[in-house]
Amino acid sequence: MRDIIKLGLILLIITSIAAFVLGITNDITQAIIVERAELENIEYIRALLPEAEDFVRVEDENVINSEEILQVYEGTKNGEIVGYTVKTNPQGYNGRIELLIGMSIDGKIVGVKVGEHTETPGLGSKIADGAFINQYTNKETVLEFSLTKDNPVKDADIQAITGATVSCEAANRGINRATQLFEDILKNR
Amino acid sequence: MKFGRIFSRGIVFDNPVYVQLLGMCPTLAVTNSAKNALGMGLATTAVLIGSNMVISLIKKLIPSRIRIPAFVVVIATFVTIVGMLMKAFLPDLDKALGIFIPLIVVNCLILARAESFASKQTVFPSAIDGAGMGLGFTIALVILGIVRELLGAGTIFGMTILGEFYQPARIMTQAPGAFLALGLLLALFNKITSKELNEL
Repeated sequence: MRDIIKLGLILLIITSIAAFVLGITNDITQAIIVERAELENIEYIRALLPEAEDFVRVEDENVINSEEILQVYEGTKNGEIVGYTVKTNPQGYNGRIELLIGMSIDGKIVGVKVGEHTETPGLGSKIADGAFINQYTNKETVLEFSLTKDNPVKDADIQAITGATVSCEAANRGINRATQLFEDILKNR
Repeated sequence: MKFGRIFSRGIVFDNPVYVQLLGMCPTLAVTNSAKNALGMGLATTAVLIGSNMVISLIKKLIPSRIRIPAFVVVIATFVTIVGMLMKAFLPDLDKALGIFIPLIVVNCLILARAESFASKQTVFPSAIDGAGMGLGFTIALVILGIVRELLGAGTIFGMTILGEFYQPARIMTQAPGAFLALGLLLALFNKITSKELNEL
């Protein structure tokens, strides 16, 4: 019994020293990693709102506490707001789908991109293809988009992908949430 | 044993990949290009030198019954440090190697060196052994990476070697190509070393 305690204590000492060393390394590298991730993020959203020159993360609680909203960036040019990018993560078929939506301040969707997702390859994964996701570009943010199986008639119609209904609905919901957030809060800020 | 002998053993006669066949997971998985292979090899070398040194220093403090968990903690610590540093300073390489960086922990080469060498030797020979074995591992990976990249994409370290006349065999950069190239290289290495060993 005393032997086990002794062995346990030795392991405890070894792991504590290891944890201490790792803590120090983490302190040194964490700031750099976060900064780099932020830069990468901005590079990524720049493509969705090419007009903007600078991006500032919106920290307003009303905005970031909205349902299925992850991040909101405010894009500015010469100090004036030209638009917003919103990252949403609606629940898809196999997991959450990351969606990035860029909207100009005059109420148009400039670009939509599908980020990380785990939808079924060959079916749900097609939501990332331009044929589906580019249907949203240049549409107005006041619209509430709905999916249709046939050719789109109205402006708010988006043609769904056969065999990927759940994934399409999720993507559609995410985009609607982003446009709604823009209409309700962002554009009046 | 002389230091030069300890060092060279890891590179040729006890080469971790071509002779001991240790650490096959990263060997097969990340050698799709020479650059990835080099990055993986150097990361493993850094871990190997660090863990060998620390283990040889603390070997008297560790009762033999808990030596394996103790070694694993030391190795895991070094792997995590290397992983953090790569994420901060070499993000591209970190992305290319992905999950295989944390998986250095389970590279049996490192535990094998800790158990069979560092836990019986002093600091300096252990560091030399780690460097030799790590370098041997790196060289083996880079050779495999060069062969696969050359046949699979016509390039080496991203530079075009085979011109447009060469139709790249894409399979070489994918999983089956790893097995094919490794098998052929093993055969070649055996052929060469068996001749040398017979002469010794």
